[in-house]
Amino acid sequence: MKPSTACLQPDRYGELYRVETSEHLAIIDASLLKLEQQDTRYDLGDCIATIFRSAHTIKGMAAAMGFRPAENVAHAMESLLEAVRAETVQVSPHVLDLLFDGSAMLASCITENQHDLHQSKSEAIRELQRKIDVAIAGTIDVATPGTIDIAAAGTIKVATALTSDESVSKPTHQVVVRLTEDCPLKGVRAILVLARIEQLGSVLTLEPSSDAMQQNEFDGVFTILINSGAGEAHLEQAILAAGDVKSVAVSKPATAGRTYDRKESIRHVRIDVRRLDVMLDLVSELAITRDRLVDMIAAQDGKEIGRDLGRVSLDASRLVTALQVEIAQARMVPVASVFDRYPRLVRDIARDLGKEVHFALEGREIEIDRSLLDAIGDPILHLLRNALDHGLEEAASRIAACKPAAGRLVLRARRDRSAIVIEVEDDGRGIDRAKVAERARARGIISDQSIPDDSRLLDILSHPGFSTANSVGALSGRGVGVDVVASSVNTMGGTFALRTTPGAGSVFTLRLPASIAMMRALLVQVDDETYALPAEKVVEIAADDDSSIRAARSSGSIELRGELIHVRSLRHEFGLSDHEGENHYAIVEVGGQRLALAVDSISAHKDIVVKNLDTVRGSARWFSGATILGDGKPALIVDPRSLI
Amino acid sequence: MSRTVLICDDALFMRMMVADILRQAGFEVVGEAETGVQAVEKYRSLRPDLVTMDIVMPDMGGIDAVREIVSQDPSARVLMCSAMGQQALVVEAIKAGARDFIVKPFQPSRVIEAVNRVLAA
Repeated sequence: MKPSTACLQPDRYGELYRVETSEHLAIIDASLLKLEQQDTRYDLGDCIATIFRSAHTIKGMAAAMGFRPAENVAHAMESLLEAVRAETVQVSPHVLDLLFDGSAMLASCITENQHDLHQSKSEAIRELQRKIDVAIAGTIDVATPGTIDIAAAGTIKVATALTSDESVSKPTHQVVVRLTEDCPLKGVRAILVLARIEQLGSVLTLEPSSDAMQQNEFDGVFTILINSGAGEAHLEQAILAAGDVKSVAVSKPATAGRTYDRKESIRHVRIDVRRLDVMLDLVSELAITRDRLVDMIAAQDGKEIGRDLGRVSLDASRLVTALQVEIAQARMVPVASVFDRYPRLVRDIARDLGKEVHFALEGREIEIDRSLLDAIGDPILHLLRNALDHGLEEAASRIAACKPAAGRLVLRARRDRSAIVIEVEDDGRGIDRAKVAERARARGIISDQSIPDDSRLLDILSHPGFSTANSVGALSGRGVGVDVVASSVNTMGGTFALRTTPGAGSVFTLRLPASIAMMRALLVQVDDETYALPAEKVVEIAADDDSSIRAARSSGSIELRGELIHVRSLRHEFGLSDHEGENHYAIVEVGGQRLALAVDSISAHKDIVVKNLDTVRGSARWFSGATILGDGKPALIVDPRSLI
Repeated sequence: MSRTVLICDDALFMRMMVADILRQAGFEVVGEAETGVQAVEKYRSLRPDLVTMDIVMPDMGGIDAVREIVSQDPSARVLMCSAMGQQALVVEAIKAGARDFIVKPFQPSRVIEAVNRVLAA
C-alpha cells in the first residue's frame, strides 16, 4: 500500500476515524436488524443500499488510515452486499450473520490498537473473508468474488461540443499513448484521454477497443488514428494534460480555464466538544462577573453614575445570558448517538439468552448535554441487560401467561420541562416484591416485615450489598448493576425511579438535568457561611414572621397554609449547637417529599457554575458540589436528597 | 483570487482530508455536502470553480448528482472521488459529465494534480 496522508497525522484523523466508523457501524447494525426482523415497513433494496454505503465509507476511511484489517473486512462485506444487490445471493440468516460478524469485527478493529491488530485478528478476518467468498461462490460461478467492478462499458460518447469546424478535411495522425505504471483505474484514464482527443478531431480507430480497456489486463498502452486540424504539439499537449500519461508519440498548449465569481456561503463547522467545554466555562465565569458588576452598581443606586452604569450593565447582562444559552445549546447532541448502538446489543444478548424480543427506540431526536451523553451509556445498558435477563420471560412462559411470545422492550427518551427523562420499559414478569424483601432481610438490608413499595424496592435493589447477591431462582441476579445505575444517576445530578407490576413488567426511569454545568441556585446563610441550594428542588421560601406559616418548632415541624412540613435544621446537621439565628425556611421537594430546611437567611437567586467535589467517599454527604460566588468566595452546594 | 471548491462526501473524515489537502494548496473550500441532493443544491447557490464528488452517497448518489449539476451548468467541473474497484462506476460518472477522478486513499500530490488538470481544461 502506498503511504497515505493520514498516517502522517494519526492524531488529527484517528479520533474522527473512530467516531465516524462507529456511527456507520450503528447504521449497518440498524439496517441488518431491520432485514433480520423482515420488517415490511422497510424496503429490502434500501436497507442493502444503506449498509453498502456505510461499509463502503468505512472501507475508504480505513484505507486512508492505512488500516488494512478493517479495510479488508469492509471490502469483504461490500462484495457480499454487491452479490445480494445483483441478486446472485439471497438474503438468508446465514448471510445476515456474516454481515453481523463483519460489523462486530470492524467494531473490534476500531477499539484495538490498529497496528497490533494484524496478529490477533488476521486469522479471524481471513476466516470471515473465506466464509463470505463461499457464500458468494456458492450461488454463482464467478471466479472473482471480491470485486464489484468491470461492467462492460461501451464506447464513450463525450458530450462536449467539437471545437473545430469539421467540414474542412484534416490530416490524420497516429497517436500512441502510454499511461504511467502506477496510474489507478487505467481504463477510466484512457477514456478521459480519449475525451480530450475527441475535442480536437474525430477518432477513426482505437486499439485496444474501449471494452477491452475496461478489463484488468489492459496495460495502459493504446493507439489512436485521428483526423484533426490541430498540430502535433497541440495534440500531444492535450493528451498529456489528461493526467497519468507517461508518454505520447505525436504534439500544443491547452486553453486556459475560466474563473467564476466567488459567492458568499453559509458554512457549518464541527467543533471539538472540548473547545465548547472551555467556552462554557468561560461564559459561566463571565456570568459570575456580570453578577458582581450588577451587585456593585446596585450599591451605587441613586447616584448619577449608578444610573448610566445600570443601563450598560443591563445590556451586558442580557448579552451574557444570550451567549450562555447559545453555547449550552451548541453542546446538545441527540441521544440517538448513544441509543443507536443498543438494537445490536439487545439482539445479541437476547440471542444468547434464547429469548425473543421486539426492541423499540423512542425519542432518538431528544437532545442532551454532551457530557451526560457519555455517562448514560453504561447505566442504560445495565438496565436493558437486566430487563432481558430477568424481566422478560421465555417464550413458553409468556404464552402460558397469555402474552405474545416475543417480549417488548422499549428505550425511550423524552423531555419534561428542564429535565431529560430516559425510560427502560419491559412487559415481562415484573419484580417479585416479596422475594426481594425476603432476600433483603436475609442480607440484613431491611429488618421490617412489610412488602416494599416501588420506591423502597428500588432502594433495596440499589443497595450495593443486595446487588452482589449471586443466587438461584427466577430472581437470580435481579439488581445486579442497579446500584451502579443508581450511583451514576446521582453523580449526574439526576433521580432514579422504578414502577413495577407483577406479571405486567417494569419501568426504570432516569431523570436527568438537560444541562449540568450551570445551575440556578438559591443562596442561603448558615452561621455566616453561604450555601447554595439547587433552585430546581426549592418549591417555596418562608420566614418565621410570615403570616402564612405557623411555626411549631418544638414539634419539629412548621405549618404552611395548613400543610405540616417537617423541619430540618442545617445548623444541626452541620454540627452547630446554637440554633438561635434560624428563622427562614427553604421548602425543598425531593421525590414527592417536602422538607423545610431551616437557615439563618435567604440571600439571593443566582446562576452558579457547578464544580464537582473530589472528596473521600462519605466525607461530604450533604454536598453535591461547590461553586465560586460573585464575591470570589467559595460556597458548598447542599444536596437536598441527602437530608430527606 | 483563489479557486473555490465544493466538497461532497458523506464522511466528514474524507471531507476534512480533501479540504486539508486543497487548503494547503491554496484553494478555498467554500462548501461541503453530505448527500447528492445537498451537492446539487450547494452547487446551484455557490457556483464553485470545482466540485469533488464521492460516488457512493446517501440521498442521490454522486453519479446522479453529477448528471444533475452538469445538466444545469454544462461548464461545471466535477472531480470524482472513487475507491479501488469502482471502475465501472467511474466510467459511468464520466459519461454523466465528470471531468476527472482521483482514487482513495488520497495522496495529496495526486489530488492537486487532478484538481489543476480539471481547472486548466
